[in-house]
Amino acid sequence: MWLPVLGLIIGVILGLFTDIKVSEEYANYLSIAVLAGLDTLFGGIRAQLQNIYDEKVFVSGFFFNIVLAASLAFLGVHLGVDLYLAAVFAFGVRLFQNIAVIRRILLTKWTVNKEKTEKN
Amino acid sequence: MKNVDKKKKNFSFTLIAVVIGFMIAIQFRTVKEPEVRDTRDTWQLRDDILKENELQLKLIREVQSHEAKIAQYETELKHSKEQVLRDTLEELKVEAGLTEVTGYGIILSIEPVMEDLLIGKTVSNVSPDLLKRLVNELNMYEASHIAIDNQRLINTTVIRDINNETKIDGHSIKKLPFEILVIAEDAKGAEKLYNRMQVSKSADEFFVDNLRVKVIKPEGRITIPAYQNSIRIRDMKPVDPEKGGNS
Repeated sequence: MWLPVLGLIIGVILGLFTDIKVSEEYANYLSIAVLAGLDTLFGGIRAQLQNIYDEKVFVSGFFFNIVLAASLAFLGVHLGVDLYLAAVFAFGVRLFQNIAVIRRILLTKWTVNKEKTEKN
Repeated sequence: MKNVDKKKKNFSFTLIAVVIGFMIAIQFRTVKEPEVRDTRDTWQLRDDILKENELQLKLIREVQSHEAKIAQYETELKHSKEQVLRDTLEELKVEAGLTEVTGYGIILSIEPVMEDLLIGKTVSNVSPDLLKRLVNELNMYEASHIAIDNQRLINTTVIRDINNETKIDGHSIKKLPFEILVIAEDAKGAEKLYNRMQVSKSADEFFVDNLRVKVIKPEGRITIPAYQNSIRIRDMKPVDPEKGGNS
């Protein structure tokens, strides 16, 4: 479980140390992509905890969500409607749901463990 | 089997985590330019202003001292012997004809007589004697600078015939018509020169050689080019201070 966290840290460090900067116009797309990535990550964690994790779904979801969000933002810019807000909303809601599910699962696990130790 | 599956799962999870981390970092760098907040209070600000004022004062003083130095150098330069020598050299250069000169003057255009050409007479070159006479006449009427066919005339200029070609210091006059530029002392002198050249005798002598002298008075100033060749001085030597100069 610690490996993905390490990966996240490595990624952050890599990003901070390389001198890459995205221009202002593309910051929107990147923010949407980041949101999609986070959503996928938490979805993956939740799936693993629920034992329904499928690698294909996870990897394809990651890329597909990012592309979809970016294209939605792109379309929004060209239509003059802030369509990227829809993506932000959708991903935000899902993020909250996922985190809530993870929290509940962890809570139940923790209580079960506690009961087990008390019984022993 | 399960172990391998888990490893693979972990690997892809890590990879995607790295990608997401990278993206987050870049987004962070893009959006949040680390801004330095100004947290100084009034007294600190006052101190800083004082410091800056002092710096400004110092810089102004420096500029002043430099300017004073420049002025000093300039006055020194003006009164120095070197500048006098330079000025003299410049004056002499102008006098010798080594510089371009602009001023009021007249233009003499020497051209073949068209009527004679129609009869079938060939117009030979302008003879050096005629040119010399014309130059003498111009000098008599107080011309300051003369150029014949854009060749500047100086004190040592020779006008002579070499193999039936009229040459002025090596510059041959082959084509007709050509122009003689003359600059007088000032606008008044130019006017005088113009009037005198209108009734000049040498114009008649040019006409004998089937050439016509047209006197043109330009509106503005005219420019005479500098002497292009180097001036050779054969029979002059600097005075030896040991032997001469005792007077």
